[in-house]
Amino acid sequence: MPSVPPQTLRAQPTEAVTGVQLAQGIGVAEAKGFWADAWAQVLTRRPAAAALGWLSIVAFFAVFAPFLASGHPVVMRELDASGAVVRTTSPLFEHLRAADLILVIGVPLAAAWIVPSRRDRASRLGACIFGGVLAAAIVLIVSMVQGTISVREPSGWALWLRQHKSAAIIVPSLISALVLGASVFVPAIGGLPRRLLVCVSACLLAGAATGITWNRPLQSFSSYTADEQNGRIQATYTVIPWSPGQRFSALDRLPPGTTLGQGLKLGAGTPGARRTFLLGTDALGQDVLSQLLHACRLSISIGLVSTGIAVLIGVTMGALMGYFGGMVDLLLYRVVEVFMAVPLLFLLIVAAAVLDEQMRTTYTMMAIIGCFTWTGAARFTRAEFLKLRSQDFVQSAKAVGLPLRSILFKHMLPNGVTPVLVDASFAIAAAITIEATLSFLGLGPVDQASWGKLLSSATSAEGEFKWWLAIFPGLAIFLTVLSYNLIGEALRDAIDPKLKKARV
Amino acid sequence: MISYILRRLLFMIPTLIGITFLVFMLVALSPGGIGAALTAQAGGQMTSQRGVALAKARLEDRYGLDDPAPVQYIRWLGRISPIKTGTRDLIGPSGETIRRPKPFKAPPLWEWFAKDLPRARASQLSVASDSPDDLRIETFKRADRLYADARAEYISSLTAMKQGLGDYAKARDIRGGADAKGQGRPSVLKNYPPDQASPEWSVLKKPAEKALADYQGALDAREDLIVAFNARPYRRAGLSIIPGVLSVAAPDLGTTFSTQRPVIDLVKDHLPVTLLINAIAFPIIYLIAIPGGMLAATKRGSALDVVLGMLFIALWSFPVVLAGVLAIGFLASNDYLGAFPVSGLHSNAAPQMRWLPGSGADGRFSVGYVVDTVWHMCLPVLCLVYGGFAILSKQCRAAMLDNFSADYVRTAKAKGVAPRDVILRHVFRNSLLPLITMFVTIFPAMLAGSVVIEKIFSVPGMGTLILRSIADRDRELLLANTLMIAAVNLLALLLADILYALADPRVAYD
Repeated sequence: MPSVPPQTLRAQPTEAVTGVQLAQGIGVAEAKGFWADAWAQVLTRRPAAAALGWLSIVAFFAVFAPFLASGHPVVMRELDASGAVVRTTSPLFEHLRAADLILVIGVPLAAAWIVPSRRDRASRLGACIFGGVLAAAIVLIVSMVQGTISVREPSGWALWLRQHKSAAIIVPSLISALVLGASVFVPAIGGLPRRLLVCVSACLLAGAATGITWNRPLQSFSSYTADEQNGRIQATYTVIPWSPGQRFSALDRLPPGTTLGQGLKLGAGTPGARRTFLLGTDALGQDVLSQLLHACRLSISIGLVSTGIAVLIGVTMGALMGYFGGMVDLLLYRVVEVFMAVPLLFLLIVAAAVLDEQMRTTYTMMAIIGCFTWTGAARFTRAEFLKLRSQDFVQSAKAVGLPLRSILFKHMLPNGVTPVLVDASFAIAAAITIEATLSFLGLGPVDQASWGKLLSSATSAEGEFKWWLAIFPGLAIFLTVLSYNLIGEALRDAIDPKLKKARV
Repeated sequence: MISYILRRLLFMIPTLIGITFLVFMLVALSPGGIGAALTAQAGGQMTSQRGVALAKARLEDRYGLDDPAPVQYIRWLGRISPIKTGTRDLIGPSGETIRRPKPFKAPPLWEWFAKDLPRARASQLSVASDSPDDLRIETFKRADRLYADARAEYISSLTAMKQGLGDYAKARDIRGGADAKGQGRPSVLKNYPPDQASPEWSVLKKPAEKALADYQGALDAREDLIVAFNARPYRRAGLSIIPGVLSVAAPDLGTTFSTQRPVIDLVKDHLPVTLLINAIAFPIIYLIAIPGGMLAATKRGSALDVVLGMLFIALWSFPVVLAGVLAIGFLASNDYLGAFPVSGLHSNAAPQMRWLPGSGADGRFSVGYVVDTVWHMCLPVLCLVYGGFAILSKQCRAAMLDNFSADYVRTAKAKGVAPRDVILRHVFRNSLLPLITMFVTIFPAMLAGSVVIEKIFSVPGMGTLILRSIADRDRELLLANTLMIAAVNLLALLLADILYALADPRVAYD
C-alpha cells in the first residue's frame, strides 16, 4: 500500500475556481482523513449500511439488556399487614453487576462526547476505547480480589478485608488509583488534558461501580412470586420479566408465545401469573428472548476484544519479522507456521476443553481466541513491512537515529496497517462464529447466556427438535456474522478497489 | 522441484514437533493434567486403597505419568521417532509394544530411616534365550504380574509414608511441611533434622520402614522382569543398526489410556471416514463453484451478479453449527421431513447388506451398502460443502474479472475470437491459478468444519476421536490425532503448491 496523502483536496463542483483562488484556500472542500473517506464510502453502500444498523441494534441490547430483561422487579413496594407501603426498593438496580453499571453510564457518555465532533471523531473514539480497557482492567482485578477474599479459609490480608465493611471502598479505589497511575506511562492518545480526562473518568466510573456492587446479593427469583402471592409486596417488572438464568424446571421447551395461565402456573393470583414467554423457553425452562438479548453483549464483546488482542499480538510479531528479516524472521515465522499447522478450531477446542468449568469465563475465552488467531494479522503486517523497510522514509528515519519503537510504530505502521484493519472486520466475524461453535460444543463461557449454547439445546438426545431454539439464536449469529462480513467487504472495496479477492 | 519437495518435507518436522508440543503443554498445564479423567476413573471404580494403588502403578509404569511433563513429551517423541536408542522393544501378541521396565524413584527422606538406600539384588531367575517359547512367555508373564504387584505394594506404602511425614510435620509444627492433601513435603522437611526421640517419630517409623522394604521388593521384582524381558519372549521390533545401542523401528503411537487399544487401530478406523467426507466434498465444491463464479463474472453488474454476490457472502457467513442443526431438525428429524438419517455413517443393518441394491440372502430388498452410505453422508457433506463453495465462487469471479481487463483478452476480442472461446480458453485457464491457491485456505477450514459436523451428525471420524481424547485428557490419543491432522493438513498444502507449479509454467521452486 503506497502511502496515501493525508488530505485530499477537492474543488466545489458548482462554481469554477481559479488557480489563484485555490492557492488562497477559496473553494477548497474541507479535507477528510483517509479512514474517514473510506468510511463515508462504506456508508454509501446499502448492504453495509443495513449491516451497521443491525450491529447498532445488537450493541444497544448489549448495553441495555439488563434493564430490558430481568427477573428482578424494577420497583418493589413492601406492604405491611394492612396493605400500606412500608418501603420502596429497586431489586433490579441492586442486582446490577459492575460491568452493567459501567456500560450503561459509560456508553451514553462516550457517545455524547464522540458523535457531535465531526473532525475529531477517530481520536476521541480511540481515547474512549483506551478508557474502556482501563475500566475493564479495574473490574477484572477487583473481581479477582473478591474471589481471593471469598475462599473458605482466607488468611492474612484477605481475612482482614473480609471482616471490614470498608473494603468495598478501599479495594476498588486503591486498584483504580494503581491503574490510573500505570496508565500515565502508556503512550498518549491525544493531548495531556484529554488523556487525563478520559483516564480519570474511566477510573472513577469503574471504581465507583465496582465499589457499589462489592457485596452483590445472591439472586433468588422465587421469593418475589411467593411474596407477591402472600400480598407482602407489590412489584413492577420490566418489559421482559425474565432473567436469562431464571429456571423453571416444569416450564421447559414451551413454544413461542406461551402465556402462563390455566395449566402452567407460576404463583397463581399474582399479576405475574399471566406473563408470556415471547420466544418460548429452552431445555432448562429459561426464557429464550431474555437469553438472546443478554447474549448480545457476549457476542459483541468477544468479537471485538479477541480481535483486538489478536491484532495487538499479530502486528507486533509481524512488525518484528518484517523489519528485521533474516534470523528473527526465520524463527518467528516457524512459530506462525506451528499455529497454522492444524486448523484453528482444533487448537481452540483443545485450549477451551482443558480449562476447568470455573475458569471458562468470558474473559478467558476472549484471551484464548485472541491468543490463537493472531497469525493472520502477523502475516499481513510482515508482508507490508518487508515491502516498506527498503523505502526511503524508513531509511531516513533509521539514519536520523530514531528509536526502534518510533520507526516501527510511528513511521512504518501507519503505512502498513491498512490490510490488517480491513481484515479485522472479517476476523471479528470469525471470532463470533468461533465463540458460537465452542458454546455449541459445550466449551463456551459457563453461566453466561450465549447464542451458541441456545442453539445446541435445539436438538436433544431423544431426537426431539424445537425449531424456536434453532431459528432465533441461529438467525442472530448469522445476521451478526453477515453484518461484519458485509462491512469488511465494503471497507475493502473502498480502500483498495483493485483488491477484490475473497479472503477467509 | 524434487529438492523443493524434500526441503518442504524436512521443514515439516520442526513444525510437527512444535504443534504437538504446544498441544501437549496445553493439556499438561491444565488443571488435572494428563490422564486426569483416567486417574479419577480408576479411583472411582476401585474403592479399596490397594486397588487404587494397583491401578496407579499400572498407569505410571505403562504411561510414565509420574514423570514431569517435558520428560513425558520427550519419551513420546522417542517412541514416534523411527530411530531408537537402547534395547529394542518387544512386540506383544496383540501388537502392543513392550518396553524394558523403567526405573522408579526411591522413597523421600530415606536417609532418615536407613544408612544405605536398598539396592536391587541380583536376580535368581534364569531363562535362556534358547529355551522353548512357551517357557519364556510364561516366565515373562509371571514376572510381569509379580512386578505389578510389587509396584502397587510400594506405591500404597509410599502414600502411607508421605501421609505419615505430613502428620509428623504438623505435629512438629514445621511450617509448609505438609501440602494441601496432608502429605509431607520432602523439600521442606529435609531442612529440619529428625527428632528421633519424639513420640511422633515412632509413629512415622513404621510406615517408613515398610516403604523401604517394599522399595526393596519392587527393585528385586524389576530385576526379575528385566531378566525375563532380555530372554525375548516375543519378537523384537524393528531392525538393529548397532546392537543394543541404535535401532530402526516403526513409529509407535502407543496405547490409548481409556480403552487400552493401540492408537494406530483407532486412527485407522476414523481417519478414512474424515478423509472420505472431505474427498467427496472437494469435487462438489469445485464443480459448483467454478460455473457459479464464471456466471457471475460474465454477467458482471447485472441483477444476477448482485444476487449471486449476496448469496455467496450469505452462505459464507452461515455458521456450520446452524446449518447442521437446521439440517438435522428440518430434513432428518421425524417431526418434519424425516427423509435422512439423523446420525451415523451406516444403518444398523449395513453389515448384512450387499454392495449394490438388490435382494439379500433372505429374499428381502435392500438398498445396498453403497447407497446406504451415500444416503447417510448427504447431510454431513452438504454442511461441509456450502462454505467452501461460497468462498471459491467469489474467488473465481474475482479472478475472472481480473483477467477480463487484461491486454491479451482485448487482443483476443479484437482479432475476432468468439466470446465463448475468450471466456473458456483464455480467461478461465488463467483464472484457475488463484483457485488452486484457494485450496490452501479452504482445506484447513474444512478439516475444522468436519470436526464440528462429525459431532453434530455422530459420524465416527477424526473429529469424534479428537473430542473424546480431549475429554479423557488421553495423551497418546490426543498427540496422535494432532500429529495426523497436522500431517494431513501440511501435506495438502504442499500438494497445492506442487499443483500450482504444474499449472503455471512461470512458477518455479528451487
